[in-house]
Amino acid sequence: MSEKNLTIAMNHENRNLRLADEKVAINVKDWNLYYGQKQALKSVSMQLPENRVTAFIGPSGCGKSTLLRCFNRMNDLIDIVRVEGEMTLHGDDMYAKHMDVAALRRRVGMVFQKPNPFPKSIYENVCYGLRLQGVRDKQVLDEAVEWALRGAGLWEEAKDRLHDNALGLSGGQQQRLCIARAIAIKPEVLLLDEPTSALDPISTLAIEELIFELKKDFTILIVTHNMQQAARVSDYTAFMYMGELIEYTDTDSLFTNPQVKRTEDYITGRYG
Amino acid sequence: MRDWFNKGEHWIWLSSAMVALSVVLVFGLFAMISYKGMVHFWPHHVYEYQVSNGQQLEPVVGELRDAKIKEVPSDAGMQEIPQLLIKMGNRDVYGIDFRWISSDTLVSTEPKIAENAVVIERYEYGNVYGWYDRFTLDGTTVQDAELEQLLQQQVAKGKALFDEIRQIEKYEIGAVNYKLEQLRLDEKRLKAEGKWNAEQEQRLAQKRDELNAQFREFQQQTQVLYEQQKTLGELTMKISGGQTLKVPVKNIVDYWQPNEMTLLDKTGFFFHGIGRFLTEDPREANTEGGIFPAMIGTITMVLIMTILVTPMGVIAAIYMREYAKDGPVLRAVRISINNLAGVPSIVFGIFGLGFFVYVLGGSIDELFYGYALPSPTFGTPGLLWASLTMALLTLPVVIVSTEEGLSRIPRALREGGLALGATKIEVISKIVLPMALPAMMTGLILAIARAAGEVAPLMLVGVVKLAPELPVDSIAPFVHLDRKFMHLGFHIYDVGFQSPNVEASQPLVYATSLLLVLIIVGLNLGAISIRNRLREKYKALEH
Repeated sequence: MSEKNLTIAMNHENRNLRLADEKVAINVKDWNLYYGQKQALKSVSMQLPENRVTAFIGPSGCGKSTLLRCFNRMNDLIDIVRVEGEMTLHGDDMYAKHMDVAALRRRVGMVFQKPNPFPKSIYENVCYGLRLQGVRDKQVLDEAVEWALRGAGLWEEAKDRLHDNALGLSGGQQQRLCIARAIAIKPEVLLLDEPTSALDPISTLAIEELIFELKKDFTILIVTHNMQQAARVSDYTAFMYMGELIEYTDTDSLFTNPQVKRTEDYITGRYG
Repeated sequence: MRDWFNKGEHWIWLSSAMVALSVVLVFGLFAMISYKGMVHFWPHHVYEYQVSNGQQLEPVVGELRDAKIKEVPSDAGMQEIPQLLIKMGNRDVYGIDFRWISSDTLVSTEPKIAENAVVIERYEYGNVYGWYDRFTLDGTTVQDAELEQLLQQQVAKGKALFDEIRQIEKYEIGAVNYKLEQLRLDEKRLKAEGKWNAEQEQRLAQKRDELNAQFREFQQQTQVLYEQQKTLGELTMKISGGQTLKVPVKNIVDYWQPNEMTLLDKTGFFFHGIGRFLTEDPREANTEGGIFPAMIGTITMVLIMTILVTPMGVIAAIYMREYAKDGPVLRAVRISINNLAGVPSIVFGIFGLGFFVYVLGGSIDELFYGYALPSPTFGTPGLLWASLTMALLTLPVVIVSTEEGLSRIPRALREGGLALGATKIEVISKIVLPMALPAMMTGLILAIARAAGEVAPLMLVGVVKLAPELPVDSIAPFVHLDRKFMHLGFHIYDVGFQSPNVEASQPLVYATSLLLVLIIVGLNLGAISIRNRLREKYKALEH
């Protein structure tokens, strides 16, 4: 425990975060999700704070990725999924009938577990989202690409090979490219689904530092298997188990003083 | 031994034997077709044989084309006697140009090279084998060295004249005839529409007069050329048996002295022959000449088929893979498509004839070409219907390979696109389809290979033995979808099995087969290299 506390202390300057003081970005109320007959999320209610990093932890199959994919309606792609409850993004009902899903996804960007750059040039990857929105102006695109690559900490490495195929980058670089691609369209929320699980420790560190920088501009939600990572990068942590939200509070409290027995068991490594 | 069986060694041996057998079969087939097809273009030696019929000797001059052993009963049991197939040409004199000779009637079994023998390829009556005698031009007669010089000069002139006449008859007069036919149809249409009046009549009559004048002019031109052809001179050849044979220069295609040729000459002759085979029209009921129209017909049909099958197959595959909900209906559709690939091709031919030609073509004729009836425009087999039937035949290949290509695109990439705010159709058109393109092309090339080699259905829906016109020419609309056309596959069948002169056509069958096989092998190699490149490209994505 003491080692873990040390890590947390190193990475968190302002210690006194309280959920109640935060501005709410996404409000989830009584959220249920079913895969056919099987219920995968059970009555989840939570408020996700703006410009903070919120981590979702829990054992495999606990529903944390499923919940994350609810925030940009990725679960719509699966035919048998059915949802109940209320979810709002800055007050807009995300599941309203008239909601344009593509527009919602422009407001809620996502980075996946495995880096998935398109088999195009680095430049084309980053400006893909902008091109979809009909941006044609070369200068605008150039600036956006530079801004996004700088934001993702990839500019120095990539600036001389912008028109090379993105598949030639290393895994860590590809993942930062995916982050650049996601932030290029300036979403309000950025979803990270285990963004470092396929990467080596050095690349992981780079991404974690990046998350720290990005929260100035974006609300970040991250799913991770790695509890140290959650402790290092997040301001708030939600612990989920069997589709239920067990405990959700600021990261310091959750890791140092968990209120629920099951959370304590998990973070001290008794199962998981 | 039991140990050996228990280890399963016999299965390994059996399977490797089968692989070896397949390899031998493939290479054997290819080697045989290549050899038999290519040897046709290589200049054969001309031999002289002395055949005795008991009382007197009869000389036979020609190329040795084949040999087989015949078993003849005799006092000492069965006796094996070699039989030789000699191409002796001079059909207008002997009546036949191939002859089997039994070797026991030969004076000497050692073939004697016929020195200075000349082979002349003619536009009519096949080859001449013999020796130069004299050449007559404008009443003067020359021999020997002078003869050869003059012959060369006159044959070159004759070739130029022949090409000129062909150009006028086939293209210029063809175009005039086509326009006249259009005028006739215009008149019928106007009459049918009730717009026929004196003004129209005058206009058409004027046009017709112009065309007829053109026609007469061309006819006069050819008449002049024909007269010139007659004055090219005449070659007299000594042929075996002490006879002579007169060969007018206008009838000479080519001539050579195979026994005096060096290896270099022969190689040149060989490639020249291949070139002529690929660029000339067939002659003498397809048993001589080239296969140019069949090649053009095949290529045109395949291209039109490609244009038809690509959108059909790709759109169907996209719907099935990306949009259709998985369920019994989709499964039934998939099974049907897979079974469609197994339907015998002749059944497609019957369907094409029954539905496309008679129902669709008949309706088109009634709706748009009613004035031309009872002579059908589209209600008869033709290029369009053949291409459409082939498109239907190859549709399963295109659908299946496109679907496979679509399913190879990682889900992560689609999600990546969707997460950036792309709609489904944007993801499909901008990410998935470009990546599936190589797979689609693979399917398409396989379809082309299949269509290029198919014969049976085409016989019902548009292929003919000899098409008077090419399906593509310089007269608008350039590609004539209603025309009948020639096809390599059918050409092989026709030359090989419907020909009056089996021995003469046999090498052509092999040569045409070789060309067809080469086209298909080339297309398949293209498909394989594209598939390999596709795999290379996506290796990076398959972590």
